[in-house]
Amino acid sequence: MAATLSQQLTALRRTRVWRSVFRGGNGTSNLDRALAVQQNLFLHLSSVKVRKRSLAFRVTWFLGTLCMGALMILVATGIPLMLYYHPSVPQAYADMKDLQSVVSAGVFLRNLHRWSAHAMVLLVFAHMFKVFYRGAYRPPREFNWVVGVILLIVTLLLSYTGYLLPWDQLAFWAITVGSNLLSSVPVIGPKVRFLMLGGNTVNANALLRFYVLHCVILPLTAATFVAVHFWRIRKDGGIYPGKDHKHA
Amino acid sequence: MSVRGRIAAAKAFLFGDSARAFGTLSLALLALLTVVPARDYFRDWRGVQKQYLQLIHGRNDAPALTRHFQGGVQQIWLPEIGVVDRCTTCHVGLKESTLTDVRTQPFRPHPPVPHSLTEFGCVLCHRGQGTATSVADAHNSSSSWEEPILPARYLESGCGQCHIQPLTGTPKLNQGRELLARYGCVRCHTMRAPDGTKRTGTDEPPSLEHIADKTSREWIAAWLRDPQAYAGSATMPNFQLKDDEIRDIAAFLIAQSQPYRSQKASEPAPVPSQDDAVIQQGASLYGESFCASCHAVQNAAGLLVGGNLGPELTRVGSKVKIDWLADWLRNPAIYDPASAMPHYRFDAKQIGLLVTFLSSKTDSDFTGTAKAAAAEPKQIERGRILVIERGCASCHAINGLKAPEDFAPELTEVGSRPLSRILFAPGVPNTLPDYIAARIRDPRSFGDTLKMPRFSLPQPQVDAIVTALLAQTARAETLPASMRIPARKPSDYRPAGRAGKLMDEMRCFSCHIINGRGGTMAPELTYEGTSVQRAWLVNFLKNPNTLRPALIRRMPRFNVTDAEANTLADYIMTAWQTPDFEGDASDDLRFTAADVQSGRELFYNKYACQSCHIIDQSKDKGYVGPTLTQVGSRLTAPWILHWLRNAQTLRPGSLEPVWNMNDADARSITAFLMAQKGAPVKEAARK
Repeated sequence: MAATLSQQLTALRRTRVWRSVFRGGNGTSNLDRALAVQQNLFLHLSSVKVRKRSLAFRVTWFLGTLCMGALMILVATGIPLMLYYHPSVPQAYADMKDLQSVVSAGVFLRNLHRWSAHAMVLLVFAHMFKVFYRGAYRPPREFNWVVGVILLIVTLLLSYTGYLLPWDQLAFWAITVGSNLLSSVPVIGPKVRFLMLGGNTVNANALLRFYVLHCVILPLTAATFVAVHFWRIRKDGGIYPGKDHKHA
Repeated sequence: MSVRGRIAAAKAFLFGDSARAFGTLSLALLALLTVVPARDYFRDWRGVQKQYLQLIHGRNDAPALTRHFQGGVQQIWLPEIGVVDRCTTCHVGLKESTLTDVRTQPFRPHPPVPHSLTEFGCVLCHRGQGTATSVADAHNSSSSWEEPILPARYLESGCGQCHIQPLTGTPKLNQGRELLARYGCVRCHTMRAPDGTKRTGTDEPPSLEHIADKTSREWIAAWLRDPQAYAGSATMPNFQLKDDEIRDIAAFLIAQSQPYRSQKASEPAPVPSQDDAVIQQGASLYGESFCASCHAVQNAAGLLVGGNLGPELTRVGSKVKIDWLADWLRNPAIYDPASAMPHYRFDAKQIGLLVTFLSSKTDSDFTGTAKAAAAEPKQIERGRILVIERGCASCHAINGLKAPEDFAPELTEVGSRPLSRILFAPGVPNTLPDYIAARIRDPRSFGDTLKMPRFSLPQPQVDAIVTALLAQTARAETLPASMRIPARKPSDYRPAGRAGKLMDEMRCFSCHIINGRGGTMAPELTYEGTSVQRAWLVNFLKNPNTLRPALIRRMPRFNVTDAEANTLADYIMTAWQTPDFEGDASDDLRFTAADVQSGRELFYNKYACQSCHIIDQSKDKGYVGPTLTQVGSRLTAPWILHWLRNAQTLRPGSLEPVWNMNDADARSITAFLMAQKGAPVKEAARK
């Protein structure tokens, strides 16, 4: 009879191809397991060891992970959407209508992107409340709280810039109102508004700027700070275990 | 096992450990994801295309139809004009002429139109959402698409986006545009054609600068209260004014008026007689002068009889002052240099008769008998403000007031006004055509403070105006200029010299088109010099006898002298000539009796000309074309010959058919017609 699943996996890990890809060992000792995490570009951001009790649902409600999940869905749907979208005044709305009428699964892609974006904003807020009420922002985690605040702002900006891209009435007026709010900031307000819109009204330049912000600048910013955020969780001693724990 | 136990077992099976939970959730997600391609597959249009294939299955023309059929999303893509119309995805049979028996949508073939279906796509005329591929999205209005399919009765508006001039195939659009001009809508609302030219009014609203000389304050007040009560055909709308507003406006209009002539008329005004016999004589003169060609009067049955070029005269006696009326009949140009009314050259006796007749046409119900109390300065000042507020000067010239510019909202793009910027009155369906129609029918239902007056128009006219307004789209302005059918430039032809002056006095251009300028009531005269014989013309100018007995509208008699008739005839015979042939009969147009006889045969038998024309008063019954009893004394032989060959080149739009007649036939009929001579005409003395 064939070997069990774990035996097959072990055999797979011993192959030359596997070992040429993954630098870590393949034993089951703590060292091997630690190396598997630490030697991997993506996993090394996270802690090598995690307290079992901090993985329980009630501790975090998995909110951080859900935020990350939403972000990944947004990236995964956003890239195909970029294939069908031109950030130009005559084309933008028509492209969006085409997503609905002729692109295969276009409605699904667009709606998934949209709902995930709404969900992510909610989840990020929930995440911050959870962190706040548990006191997880306290030293030594205060810098990661600041990173979290930056990520909140980036999330809101992503949501705001994406709102203009359908180029319908709702988008146009929302951005008009939003940018007018900005211009009421003393001294720099009007200048910042001009910079953001690339002009004095919401126009072709604003659409292009928002597109570049939404698809390039803000996602890169978010990725950078998410990396820092994860890395700091490890450096600050893992997920905050609660105030009654000795080794906070 | 209990139910609770079963549930526990199932839970353990599905979510017992993390691997099972992961697997279960993954399968659930996979199931959800299959919904996406499934929904994609079961779209409306696939079902429709399947129905179509069933419909054509087993038909005689099935092989051809199947060959034409292409599955999948179809589109008409015209990047130059921004058209992406996917309507043909479901409307598969649009171009199939053999499907005429199919009456059900979406498979009905398109009715024949002058354009190819792929030339402009569908949405340009029908509206709707061309890019959509579901039935609801394509036809209905939604928050993401505001233009639903246009009801068929407004469809001609599509044509109006490129065609600026009237088209034979679009009566409703033409009528709507004509009404917009006739009711002076364009005087308050700026309305531009797609080429940027401003549409202009044809209503010629009278100047009010000398109104006090013409009529009374009481009449103005009664008129303002309800213009249609005075004349059902009046184009002035009802401004729905309150009584005190009417009183003050009338007071102001009388106060601003200035005399139209510096000294008194050289002849004293006639005193209208109350004698029925004199009134009867006046009525006869009114009839003989063919005043009814332009002016209508209500008959006993309440029907309007007469033309609509001038104002209705049913109650004119209640309106005008005797002095003014006499002056006007003497020469309208003294009061209004731009009037379309000719200078009739009536003598004093005739003027007296007409004044008597017209001033007898009163209606005491209209003005009442009460004299208005003298106006106070306060009332006059308030009247002035009211006149400014209501924009009266947009149409009428008023002393001291300038015509306001853009008094009312511009309507150049009214046909593509976004619904989101429209406030619908309760009870009005939320579509653009219904909104426009409601605004025309009862503007004040959108608010008591609105200034737009009420035009009492029947439903077909409202529909026509809506059609014309729906043609005013933003898209029409952005279409490539090459698609526009340009407006013909209005001609500014003016005959010169003494004859030109006479023609101006007699207002020939009010009724006749000559070299592209003029009215449409009477025949075109551009080539009249080639067409008629001089002797006949002189006689006709002096004493016009009717050529078309079936018509009410006839050429009036202008009381011209022999010298004037000769001047006019000289000019017409010299200047109004076709460049294509000579009007003088040449040698080969000398006819023999045999020619005349064969012409008679052809006239009565082969071409049956008597269906429309009369040669023999006693037996022919044709009333469509002019009577030809004395045509040999009226027309020239070359003209008849060319007319028979192709009348359309001589007078485009003539009812005369294009006969494609051979030369021998045309020559014989010409011979026959030239033989129809009248009594010899006495040559009018030349000066």
